[in-house]
Amino acid sequence: MTMVQQTGGGSGGSASGLADVIDTILDKGLVLDAFVRVSLVGIELITIDVRVVIASVDTYLRFAEACNRLDLTGDKEGLPGLVGDMTEGGAKHKTKGALEAAGDKLRDFAAEDDSGRGRQRQKTRREGD
Amino acid sequence: MPAHTAVYVYGIIPADTEIESGTTGVGDPPGEVRLVRHGDLAALVSDVDVSKPLGRPEDLMAHEELLDGAAGDVPVLPLRFGAVVSDDKAVASELLEDHHDEFTDALNQLEGRAQYVVKGRYDEQTALRDVLTNNDEASALREQIAGMDEDAARDQRMRLGEIINSAVDQSRERDTQVLLDTMADCVEASVVREPTHELDAVHTALLVQTDQVPDLERALDGLAADWNGLIELRLLGPQAAYDFVGTTQPSPSPGG
Repeated sequence: MTMVQQTGGGSGGSASGLADVIDTILDKGLVLDAFVRVSLVGIELITIDVRVVIASVDTYLRFAEACNRLDLTGDKEGLPGLVGDMTEGGAKHKTKGALEAAGDKLRDFAAEDDSGRGRQRQKTRREGD
Repeated sequence: MPAHTAVYVYGIIPADTEIESGTTGVGDPPGEVRLVRHGDLAALVSDVDVSKPLGRPEDLMAHEELLDGAAGDVPVLPLRFGAVVSDDKAVASELLEDHHDEFTDALNQLEGRAQYVVKGRYDEQTALRDVLTNNDEASALREQIAGMDEDAARDQRMRLGEIINSAVDQSRERDTQVLLDTMADCVEASVVREPTHELDAVHTALLVQTDQVPDLERALDGLAADWNGLIELRLLGPQAAYDFVGTTQPSPSPGG
């Protein structure tokens, strides 16, 4: 094994803690089957689908609908509440709880303050450190 | 060990690592995480009841939080979610012993490094405004649609959406390249991930040396300022190097 570059890869999720995790651990990382065959144990996996299929009919219609609601003549604020809610779709509701749980490792650059720079809690420590 | 119990494997770390007692992992109730060691290697594992399915949000979060927590301190080879073997003996022999040198080399390559993920999302109103003011067909379609019944305007709505989607695709490609160029001096390797939302601006995994993290953060702060109001940027990490481990053939020049 070596460190390799994989282009592309999986997709899924919206911007939240659980979706970020799903983006990462379901289709990336080492695959056990490549190393262990005899003692492999099958376990049922339930997966949560928060994927947004992009470049689809739904995407196009969502964009068109958002344009329709956009106030081009008014001030720059437009209709922030409506638009904000609409773009997240159903996934937002599913993942809300997890977002809070994962909050400590997400840093929002748009609304950052220096006190938010703490690292995740560390569960392991190396001898001699 | 009862018959319905097996061993869930999270990842592989150097043997000279300890785990805080009471750390819990996947399962309901969650199993306590422990280490199975062989030679220079240790596997992070916990017992799991194989008669119950895995994959609740708590399971997914537990898997990643454990590995990412470790990745802040030590090199980590993350396993994909759902890796289960029969018992500790199999972990030690079939996983760690049989692949000892391979894993040790990979851990050495990751020493002092961690993965970070940069995600950016376009501000919808700004993005739409940009397309509508720069594309005559789009603005004309918008005006047409405004005076029409929703169903009757379906073709126009589809076309307008397609124009916007295509414009966002182009912006994404351009802004991803800007991100990669800006980060080039402070990352060892990068993987551009597929967008996961139609308004995704950038979605990229970066392999970063620990001592270059402040540089990375400074560079991103600069980009966030440049993109203020256009793109909301987030930095996730440190994470285990999920995007940079693989079992495929060696790459002649990993990185860049």
